[in-house]
Amino acid sequence: MADENKGLVAAGASLVWRRQRVLWWVFAVNLAIGLLGAAGARGQLNKLLEHSLAGEGLSKGFDFGMFLELIGRPNADLMRSSGSSFLFSLLFPLFMIFVAGGILAVYRDNRKFTAGDFFAASGAFFWRFVRLALFSMVPFGILAALLMGVDKLSDYVGDRSVSAQTGFYILLTGCAVVMLLVLFVRLWFDIAQVRAVVQDETKMWSNLWKALGISWRQASKLFRVYLCISGVAWVTLAAGLFLWTKLPPTATPVTFLLLEFIILMQLLTRLWQRASSVTWYQRHVASFPADAADFTTATPMELVEPASGTSDLGAEAWPAEPGVSDEPNAPVEAGNGNPAEPDKQ
Amino acid sequence: MARRSFFLALISLSLTVASFSGQSPFAPKVTGPLSQRVVAYQIDAKYDPDKHTVDATETITYHNLTGQRLDHFPFHLYLNGFQPGSTWVSEAHRDGNFRTSTFDNGWDDKRAGSSEITALEVEGLGDLTKAIKYIAPDDGNASDKTVIDVALPRGVEAGQDVVFKIKFKAKFPEVIARTGYKRTFLLAGQWFPKVGVWWNGAWNCHQFHAKTEFFADFGTYDVKITLPKNYIIGATGVQVADSDNGNGTKTVAFHAEDVHDFAWTADPNFVVKESTFDGSVGAVKIRLLTYNSHETSWQRYLDVMQGSMKRFDEWYGPYPYAQITVVDPPHGALEAGGMEYPTFITGDTVWWAPKGQKLLPEGVTEHEFGHQYWYAMVATNEFENAWLDEGINSYTEVKVVDSLYGKNTSVLNWLGAQMGDSAEQRSGYVGVAETDSLAKPSYQDMSFSSYGGVTYGKTATMLLTLENLVGEQVLRKALHAYFMKYRFTHPTQEDFLRTVNEVAGEDLGWYWQQAVYGTQVLDYKVRKAESTRVDWASKDAPEDKKGETLYATEILLQRVGDFIFPVTAEIKFDNGETVRERWIGVDRWKRFEYLKKAKVLSVEIDPDHQITMDRDYLNNSIAAEPQRKATQKIATYWTFLTQFFAQMLSWLT
Repeated sequence: MADENKGLVAAGASLVWRRQRVLWWVFAVNLAIGLLGAAGARGQLNKLLEHSLAGEGLSKGFDFGMFLELIGRPNADLMRSSGSSFLFSLLFPLFMIFVAGGILAVYRDNRKFTAGDFFAASGAFFWRFVRLALFSMVPFGILAALLMGVDKLSDYVGDRSVSAQTGFYILLTGCAVVMLLVLFVRLWFDIAQVRAVVQDETKMWSNLWKALGISWRQASKLFRVYLCISGVAWVTLAAGLFLWTKLPPTATPVTFLLLEFIILMQLLTRLWQRASSVTWYQRHVASFPADAADFTTATPMELVEPASGTSDLGAEAWPAEPGVSDEPNAPVEAGNGNPAEPDKQ
Repeated sequence: MARRSFFLALISLSLTVASFSGQSPFAPKVTGPLSQRVVAYQIDAKYDPDKHTVDATETITYHNLTGQRLDHFPFHLYLNGFQPGSTWVSEAHRDGNFRTSTFDNGWDDKRAGSSEITALEVEGLGDLTKAIKYIAPDDGNASDKTVIDVALPRGVEAGQDVVFKIKFKAKFPEVIARTGYKRTFLLAGQWFPKVGVWWNGAWNCHQFHAKTEFFADFGTYDVKITLPKNYIIGATGVQVADSDNGNGTKTVAFHAEDVHDFAWTADPNFVVKESTFDGSVGAVKIRLLTYNSHETSWQRYLDVMQGSMKRFDEWYGPYPYAQITVVDPPHGALEAGGMEYPTFITGDTVWWAPKGQKLLPEGVTEHEFGHQYWYAMVATNEFENAWLDEGINSYTEVKVVDSLYGKNTSVLNWLGAQMGDSAEQRSGYVGVAETDSLAKPSYQDMSFSSYGGVTYGKTATMLLTLENLVGEQVLRKALHAYFMKYRFTHPTQEDFLRTVNEVAGEDLGWYWQQAVYGTQVLDYKVRKAESTRVDWASKDAPEDKKGETLYATEILLQRVGDFIFPVTAEIKFDNGETVRERWIGVDRWKRFEYLKKAKVLSVEIDPDHQITMDRDYLNNSIAAEPQRKATQKIATYWTFLTQFFAQMLSWLT
């Protein structure tokens, strides 16, 4: 099992690497949103500091007192700039909903897409993914409520405890549990998206429940893969922030590169999770029909229903179809998703 | 004669207590009395930790040193401030918040406190319980029960003593505004009936206000507290007895001299850590009452106490008491933190406090220790001149923590960010610079932020700015002189200002008028800095050549604010030359002109960054070349945060 997970993690990473154009485009859009979101603040700061020596303390170190004066100035209104940054940041999830179909199609087919192919695939799945995103607000909302409950519980217990750390540890444990549940919900909805793309599912409500069944039964495997990749994201984030504190205060260009590397790694790991889920799904659940010519909206494919007791899906899985393997590394019958096929990039 | 017998009695009592316990309330080289002891309190209190109440008897011996007959006496009952309708609660609700108490979610009965006198007798005059009358001298609020007045059937002649025998019951609120309980912890502040101060020819006994603190006469305190025997207790003064009552309780006795208040704390979970400071008048015991879960802060508390006591001893004068008790309140008891009582202070910390930030526990502990000088010994009227204690203490806080932790890092030196205490004081002030003057009673200030920004921040920045005029060392000498002259008395703001004038050797009235009595705002700006070729009108002028072309440079400085203050401007030219100009700053603007074979690079008012009262630092300079590094840096961070937040959101889709 561990080897298989390792294989899946590596296969996902390999897929992200081979289709890295996706990563660079996603990163470019994220960077553009970041730059646009910061443009208002940059303009305000420029107006205040361009011909003033007052910013020296900020460039030679980070004079927090001066920073407070800057953000506290009524005529600078940097708080309004933070509002516009927030609005810009909302564009990115919308963008990701839009392109998710295209990204999964690229990973599904494992071949080079033209821009037209990519956006056609994106558009084909857009409304389905919007519906999934709306559905996802329910479990994420429940988890947000749970997090608030944990916060209240930690306050309540902490308030009655002699130890100052008790409340913190309750909160920490609660947050960790909620984080794992969030990760599971993410996995569940990722599988639903993968099913939509790989099998061209159109009924998102039933798709969602099927995806839940798969996610639940495969939790021990897929969830560990997700956790492992999330671990990479967290470690790179922590290491990056640590390095940031060690950089000289005047090294703004290097700082910029480091911070962008952190962002790149966050985006990479997210795509890595998606690529891993596509890979797993194709290996274990679905196979492409040999004549799957339309990569934008894949022809509805046969659902692999591994035999009871032999499948990773467990005893409750659907009856097995002839000609479909449930061996983890067995090549699929044909199609663009065949790992045995040479890379066409 | 009566006065003499009173002092003899007090000295006799002190000697009795001291010989009984073997512990003097003073440091080894100090002998009392240090103050004009107007009152002597003897309190016998029983604490019920389940009900958070104290039942007590109190004997107040008041010596009439007013020079006139007194026929009525006002008393503070501060705990009654924590009741709906009281002036304290109304002000806290109206003006913002006192720490965490806004009452925005309505009144909470757990926050209720009370102080009830069940019997009041005056020796020789009988039971006067029925003569108790609630008064509201500040706002006439009939619902406020924080001050009572007792009319005597026969007045107390000048020089005579009067003895009040009081029975009272105090109920503590869940910790609020410097007093109360949290779980098993109790901070008992302002918990007993306290007589007002005869000051400037009248009784001075204000109601309890949300924005201001206290005022009381010096005297002696002998306090016995009975409580469960597993409790660890600390209090003003020194412990002189501890007896087991055999019924699960113990009685602990404390004695304090030349102090004007008495606070105590108790908790069975306290951990005691001790250290000794070797001051100029002998050893002083530092007794820290803390918790196991704050272990990371223990040494930090003791270190900052050592450092602060050393600086105060060297710069301002000796700490004459034998002990200082430092209370580290438990988590959730924020409102008990950061408070001063004579020889007894409360700090504050969190178990995860990074060492790179010095606010908790260092900054707050230093500040509260500073109040031993500017409040406990130089006992100004905190109701009417809060800046004399909080403000001067904020200034000395800047000087002490800067010397301990670095001028630009005394508040923060963590994760690449730095901040000095002077910047912190200034940040409180700049937003409320024109709201309230220092000279008016602080409880009348516009809001809590104006009270904080003006009382603490403006005073500190005003004195830091004054260093520009008289020098840091002169101001230090002035504070030393002020402390030595007025310790154990109740000086006024005029006493302070006069002392600074005397030590500085000049009349600074023009400065005080603006900075203390007025609300003028100090703001100077560089309006223009421009170099133009002298031969600009010539049609056949040669091309610019560095070092050869002659330029006329015009520098225009402007006084934007209405505060007049002399300023220095530094002008830098592109040939490396630097010129400093002094402008008295009276007119609205001043022009400086130069004829040089060099162009101006930059002009900066206050190039040494000493005029901390200048509200706008950004207009203090003009640079010819664009200065984009700071903008690029912040924009880089801003971009990253936007990107990071965006990708976090996208994770949900």
